[in-house]
This record gives sequence, structure tokens and C-alpha cells, in this order.
Amino acid sequence: MSKILSIARVNLLRFLRDRSTVFFVFVLPIGIVMLIGAQFGGDFSPQLGVASGGGTVADDIVARLDAEESIKLVEYESEDELLIAVERGRLSAGVSVPAGMDEQLAAGSPASVGFISRPDGVGPQLQVVVSEAVAGAAEQIMATRFAVGKGADPSAAATAAAAVAPTIPDLNVETIVAGESLFPASLGRFDIGASSQLVLFMFLTGLTGSAALIQSRQLGMTTRMAGTPTSIRTILAGEALGRFVIVLVQGLYIMLATILIFQVNWGNPLGAAATLIAFSAVGAGAAMLFGSVFRNDQQAGGVAIVAGIGLAALGGSMLPVELFSDSLVRIARFAPHYWANEAFAELVRRDATVVDILPQLGVMFGFAVILMAIASWRMRQVITRV
Amino acid sequence: MTNSRVLEATGLKKSFGDIHAVRGVSFHISVGETYGLLGPNGAGKTTSISMVSGLLQRDGGEVLLDGQSMTTTSLGPKQDIGLVPQDLAIYPDLTARENLRFFGHLYSMPKAELVKRVDEVLEVVGLADRANDRASEYSGGMKRRLNIGIGLLHRPKLLVLDEPTVGVDPQSRNAILESVEHLSSEGMAVLYTTHYMEEAERLCTRVGIIDQGEIKAEGTRRELVELVGQQDRIRITATGVQESALDELRRLSGVHSVSPSDGSLELLVADAGAVLPEAMRVLGSQHAGVSSVSVEEPDLEAVFLHLTGKALRD
Repeated sequence: MSKILSIARVNLLRFLRDRSTVFFVFVLPIGIVMLIGAQFGGDFSPQLGVASGGGTVADDIVARLDAEESIKLVEYESEDELLIAVERGRLSAGVSVPAGMDEQLAAGSPASVGFISRPDGVGPQLQVVVSEAVAGAAEQIMATRFAVGKGADPSAAATAAAAVAPTIPDLNVETIVAGESLFPASLGRFDIGASSQLVLFMFLTGLTGSAALIQSRQLGMTTRMAGTPTSIRTILAGEALGRFVIVLVQGLYIMLATILIFQVNWGNPLGAAATLIAFSAVGAGAAMLFGSVFRNDQQAGGVAIVAGIGLAALGGSMLPVELFSDSLVRIARFAPHYWANEAFAELVRRDATVVDILPQLGVMFGFAVILMAIASWRMRQVITRV
Repeated sequence: MTNSRVLEATGLKKSFGDIHAVRGVSFHISVGETYGLLGPNGAGKTTSISMVSGLLQRDGGEVLLDGQSMTTTSLGPKQDIGLVPQDLAIYPDLTARENLRFFGHLYSMPKAELVKRVDEVLEVVGLADRANDRASEYSGGMKRRLNIGIGLLHRPKLLVLDEPTVGVDPQSRNAILESVEHLSSEGMAVLYTTHYMEEAERLCTRVGIIDQGEIKAEGTRRELVELVGQQDRIRITATGVQESALDELRRLSGVHSVSPSDGSLELLVADAGAVLPEAMRVLGSQHAGVSSVSVEEPDLEAVFLHLTGKALRD
């Protein structure tokens, strides 16, 4: 066992001494999580878009929203433009006030104000602000209606309503959520990006780390180890443990850093740890396979980037699988990333425990065993040159 | 004699596809002996020692290390071998001390002994003052010395050195050769492969001439020279050499022929070292005026040429 640990320790030492590690392993992942968090959540002064059809009531709502100091109001010409701006993340949310609202309300018909937001924690907060503004405008409408109903001149009634509005009982504004929310409102702005990038970078670090294994072979170190009283099984176990620890270090770092810097919620700690370990085993298996199959590190490095990013995209690390078509989801299941992302989705979005994610953990360990078995067979051939 | 044998390799065979790299190589090495495998590149030296070291599965033959059979999976005999591969096998991003300690762990050396032994080896290979520098910062010669140091670390019974001086500057080369001489004098058995004739002559007690996967001849330098009928040549420049002196020289033991020419003599002898003092005595007693003497001993290059029909560096 001590030989296995020695080989693993040397691997970790070499990994940490590689200067490129500092950027690619410690700086880049956090930078990307931050970028994705900004896309999902904007800044501390959220931007609210408004597309107004005009009219007294509409102007009143816009004026009330504009008076809110905690938000930045951006006006749009049309509802379509507003929708695009929200979808592309330029706005945290948007309010659509339809044309002809004054007439509708004067006729005693109900009128709707549209509200759309991004799937993060800011949307519900803005929704409250918008609801209050609409309710404030509605108070005066109710007061005017009341005066007109008593035979007063509408314009005089409107003026008087402004004065009596505070005496009118609060209006109940009903909020109807249209469609099904992809992500729970409680999800933090960095939560989705953190888990998907953790999965992406763990695997990528594993694959690019296979270069060190190839260098060991090229340097003759693996063969020299085989010349010592160390079995090939022990050498393979040491190399595999080294890859495992490297991938685990990458995952732990992202997890701890995002907790400390972005207060990311990783769900059930035991479940998160189990997912981290299972996916580290997958990453180690993939690294061993690459390290045993490719002849040189340049060759392995090029394929590693393509495979790492390709499988990450397929497995839902670039775009949530919730947005995939059914057929694409079926294909995505062949990527180990899918199962890791699924496990984190269960933990983070649906408050799952380690028991709930046992199927995902099982599939990940299955991937790891298969990859490790192929790599060991190939590596044994390479070492003994049979 | 058999009991003192550290290594006994018999009938080693190895093919790679249609290429028969090694065809029945046999040799043995005893305690304190330095055995040289001398041959050009591609002769089968590295393949032979890979089988001896248990790195390569052999197609045929037997390797006994201190009486134990060596295979790719046998761990016991590997404890007795210190392998120094031809290509540098060190981690460039680790220091010399870290490289040595790593291999010390693989040889299961106890911690206290390892710490002490690492310092000793660093001294032996002359890297004590650079022990904590990364190997990537070393010169080629220093890397070679570290490469050898790893092989010495666990005090092996047999040190296997595969062309350890290839690409090394003369100073480091000399240091390496001196180290090997020192280890041999301490009783370590050494298997040394080289295609440098002068290294084999300087270091090796016995030499196996290997070419095209076969040992063509084996023995001490003298035995090999005699085997192929080569003789030492003594050239003497002298004046006043009488016919009687020539007759007396011809009668000396070990002298095969004496050929006088204008102002000089050429003697073909079995052993110049033994004949020369006698020849000088004869010329002195006959009042010949000797102005210069040169001796040419046939080297292993000549033996190799005789045995294979080609030069070592072909």
C-alpha cells in the first residue's frame, strides 16, 4: 500500500509543480463560474425592462417603477424586444404594460400586466416590486371608478381619487405564473454554473493530466518502476490513485472556492461528497485510458480538449439537459457528465440525499470500472511490451 | 565458482515479429566481476539486459539471479538488481533527493536507512550540493549520475548499466567510469553494455562480443585477442643492432617474429608486457643504441572486426 501511496504522491507533487496548473486548475474554473453567475444573475442593481403601450395607468406604473431606487429601469419599444433582452440575460426581468389599458379599466374590464424574469433568485424579488407598483396604480383606478359611479366628472374624479386613494382598502393583485419553471426560484445565481463547471473541469483536468502519465512512459519511469520489486498491479494502482487524487483536488477546490466566494449551495454534503468521489473515479479512469493509449502528450492533449468539452456539452455542462430534446437526452446518457450533472441537480435543486442519487452514483462507478479495466489491460501491455 | 555467481543467463531468446533480436545469448557474472556486453547499436544488448532485469518477457532461455529465477512478475530477484537504463529515467520536475527517495520507497527501504542512504548516494554520484535542485536544472552529466545513483540506492548485488556514458561530456564520463571501478572493487557484480571499446577494455573483467543477437566470443581481453590470433607489436628504433642480437631476440619466449628494417625492428609477440623488458636487456647487452620504443596491443575493436567483419560503430 505504501508503494501505491508513493506513486500517487509523486503524481500529485508533479501536478502541483506544473506552472500551467495554477491558471487552468485554480484560476480558470472560478473565472468561468463567475461569468456564468453574472449571466444568470446580473449585478447588485438588477435591470428591469419595461415595454409600455401608453396611457394614464401605464405611465403611472412606469413612474412608480422608475421611482424604485433599488432597480434600473430600461424602456423598450415592444414586448418582443423586451422578451429577447430577458432571454439573453441583458435584463433580470421585464414588465409588459399593454396598450388600451385605460379604456379597458374604464369599461370595468380586467387588464393584465405581463412579467417575465430569468430563472434565478432576482426574478421573484423584482416580481414583488412590480406587483406593488401595479397595486399602487390600481388603488387610484378603484377610487376614480368609485367617484364616477356616484355621478362625478371622470377627470375631476381622477384628481379627487389621488387624494382619497389612501383611504381605499388594499387591492388584491393576483399573480399567475405562466408555464413551468425550469429551475426553482430559490436557486442562487451561481448554483447551476458551479456544478456544471465543476463536472467539466474535473474531467478535463483528468484528461489533460494523462499527459503526465505519457511523459512518465516516455521518460522510462514506468518501465524503471517495473524493474523494481513492485508489481505491475501496484504501479497501475499508484498511477490510478494519483489521477484520482488530482481530479478530486480539482473538484474539491471548485466546491470549496464557490462556497466561500459565491455562497454556492451544493445540497446534501454527503451526497455532494459521494458525487465528487464517483466522478473523480471516472476522471481517473479516463486519464488512465488516455495515458495508456496515446503515444505522446501533444496527441493526447489535443484529443483531451475535444473529448473533455464535447462530453461536457453532451452531458449538460454547457447547457442544462432540461433544455435538451428527448432524443438528445437519451444520447447524453452515454456521457458520464450527464450522470454527475443529474446527481448535482438532484442534490441542489430537489434537496435529494445520497440515497436518492444512488442510481447516478452507480452509473458513474460503472463508467470508472470500465475505463480503468481497459486502461489497465493496455498499460500492462505497454509496460511489459508483450 | 558456481556459488559466487550472481547472474546466470542461459540461451536467452527474443523476437519482435520477424526480427530475431536475441538468439540464444548466454553469460554469467560472479561477485566483484564487471562483465561487458560489447557490440554496435542494434546488436541485442538492451534486449538482453531487459530480459535479465525482468522487464521483458523472453521467448526462451533462463535467467537466474543469485539462484532465483527472474521473470517479469518475480519481485524477489528484482530486489537484487539495480537497473540503470540507457535513456535517462528520472523525474525532471523532482529534485535529486526526491527522485532517490521515491525509488527507495519502491525498494521498500526502511525510512531511517533510506534517509542515510540517499545522502550517501548523493555523495557517491557527486550531487550532494545540488540535492535539492530539480533535475530539470541539471547538466546532462549530472542527470546521468543521478540516473546511476538510483540504481545504486538499495545496494544491489548486480548493477546493470546500459550504455551509461552515451551523450556525456568527458569529465562526467570519467567520473562515471571511476564510480563503476570503485563499486566493482567493493565486490558488486556489474553488467555493463557499451559500444565504446575503450570503456569495455578499461572496466570489464570479461567481455562478451555481441552482434546480431548472438555472443560471438567471450573472455578476458587477452583471451579474446588470442582467440582471434592477434599479436602485440613492439617497434624499436635502434642503431648498431647486430645479427647475433636479432637471433637472441628470436629465441626469446613469446616472440613470434623479428623483422629488421632501416634503423628499426618490429617484433610480433604474444604479450608485449612480458617480452619488452627481455628485449631491452638483449639489445643492451649487445650494445645497440635504442632511441625509441612503441608498443601496439591489438584492441577489442580489432577483435570485433575479426569476428564480425565490421567495425563497432558501423
